[in-house]
Amino acid sequence: MIETTRLSKTFHVHKKAPGLMASVRGLFRRERIAKHAVREVSFRIEEGEIVGLVGANGAGKTTLVKMLAGIIHPTAGEARVLGHVPWERDDRLRRRLALIMGQKAQLWWDLPAADGFLLLKEIYRIPEEEYRKTLSYLASVLEIGKELHVQVRRLSLGERMKMELIAALLHGPRVVFLDEPTIGLDLSAQRAIRDFILAYREEHAPAMILTSHYMEDIQRLCKRIMILRDGALVYDGSLAQVAERYADHKVITAHLRRDAGGGPPPALRSMGPEGPMGGVAGGEIVEQDATVLKVRVPRGETAAAAARILQLYPVADLAIEEPDIGTIIERILREKGEVMG
Amino acid sequence: MSPRLFFRVMGLEARAHMSYRADFWTQAVVGFLGHFALAWFLWKAMFRESGREAIGGYDFPGMMVYYVTVLLLGKLVAGREYEAGVSGEIYQGTLTRYLLFPGRYLPFKYAQHLGSMAPSAVQVLLFAVVAALFTGLVPGPLEIARGALALLVGNLLHFLLSYCIQLVAFWADNVWSLEVGKRFIMTLLGGFTVPLAVFPAGMKPWLEALPFRFFYDFPVRATLGRMGAAEWALGIAVAALWCVALWLLGRWIWWRGQLRYTGVGI
Repeated sequence: MIETTRLSKTFHVHKKAPGLMASVRGLFRRERIAKHAVREVSFRIEEGEIVGLVGANGAGKTTLVKMLAGIIHPTAGEARVLGHVPWERDDRLRRRLALIMGQKAQLWWDLPAADGFLLLKEIYRIPEEEYRKTLSYLASVLEIGKELHVQVRRLSLGERMKMELIAALLHGPRVVFLDEPTIGLDLSAQRAIRDFILAYREEHAPAMILTSHYMEDIQRLCKRIMILRDGALVYDGSLAQVAERYADHKVITAHLRRDAGGGPPPALRSMGPEGPMGGVAGGEIVEQDATVLKVRVPRGETAAAAARILQLYPVADLAIEEPDIGTIIERILREKGEVMG
Repeated sequence: MSPRLFFRVMGLEARAHMSYRADFWTQAVVGFLGHFALAWFLWKAMFRESGREAIGGYDFPGMMVYYVTVLLLGKLVAGREYEAGVSGEIYQGTLTRYLLFPGRYLPFKYAQHLGSMAPSAVQVLLFAVVAALFTGLVPGPLEIARGALALLVGNLLHFLLSYCIQLVAFWADNVWSLEVGKRFIMTLLGGFTVPLAVFPAGMKPWLEALPFRFFYDFPVRATLGRMGAAEWALGIAVAALWCVALWLLGRWIWWRGQLRYTGVGI
């Protein structure tokens, strides 16, 4: 459905030094610098997949999405979306593609969303019956039916985002690019949008690329992620594998029963062989007080460490957790070199 | 773009622009009455000081009729310069949605441009009725038909010229100065500031060759019955040629420019 081969984009921007004299000089001569936004990115996405595109600000996520949606032209490389070269903007492709870019409005602000939807019906030549059915379905799932006849500019941020989603999906696209769909929304609106995207995927099975800075978006919606670092694809694989491959440790949290004296068990203060990490190579205590012991242990030593804690301490509850996915991705983004999945 | 979609876009834009009541009346009063009062006092003084009965073939009442017609028809040629939105769309990245829509950008913008003129059309109708009641001058059906076609061609030509200028936004960070230059030239050489008949005879071939006269002078004289059938037909043909030339130029600028479009931010 979506396929790219060594896709690259370099922007040339004018460098502007600070100060008045630099501005005067800039009237006569300007220095151009090349910014490599996307570097030789290759991947393939199939029908029904939601792929999370992750990276720091300026990593090239939005540029990549814009190229795939046909908005900007690449500097080098190839891409095919539903068999078409996206930047040739063939109408057959544009009728089956949608791009949702955060709060950048596709709708007409001075008019109710319902009017904008009617226009989109004409633009995409959606048959009357199908239009009514789809609009009714989308409006009910997003619980936005009452606001359809309110001027778009008078809607709340969350309501506007829902209207944007309807506008983008009315024509039943086979490929959907979601660029920061939950940015700026409150928690309940974020949840509603995520639930909706999942429901839409279940029903229509389009290929989706999602970019988001909210790890919860990625975790809830994507089984596969691609990590971009300085424009290059440094990881492409399953989300679950990221933790397995790149998090070399797990965190064990033990909630302890207080002893009669109320103080922490004496051995807890020790890092020696008699302490909780005794015999566990590479383990470390992250947090400890009278009732909580948190240790970080190598992935392969998890069972041994848990057993030792249970043996040594009066444990009321014990939890073994993967480290936070955001932290792992942050680590990958900081690292140098290839980490392809 | 299908005619159905074209009219739907036009209708939607008309609705959006008709929703501003205060703006409608401010435009009507300032745009029409203010301009007319200025022309009245200026030409009254010029006729008095020069002591002439006619200037450029127009006596004072004729000059005022010319101005009323220029003010009315001028609104239907340039409208509210909606095409100015093109550069804004390039700068702000809202051009993106049009690149995603199946269909071409230019017809879409022209439909929006025509729709945005709905308030102007209502104002023109309103003032035309008032002007006809005051002066008793009502053009015949032939003049109205010729004027309407001249107006349509003038409108398209003006849109295409502005469109080409606006597309420069793909390269330049600001096209405002180009717009100001265009406005100055078209009001001076188009017959808005003074009728073209007032210009020296030596300038006539230049004024006729340039596209600007089709914005004001040509549709006004066609509506007032101040030109013969041959002159009108030749004018329409020249204006159509200008439209084709600007359309081709616009296509070329668009093709080159969209290669540079970033959709805001990189």
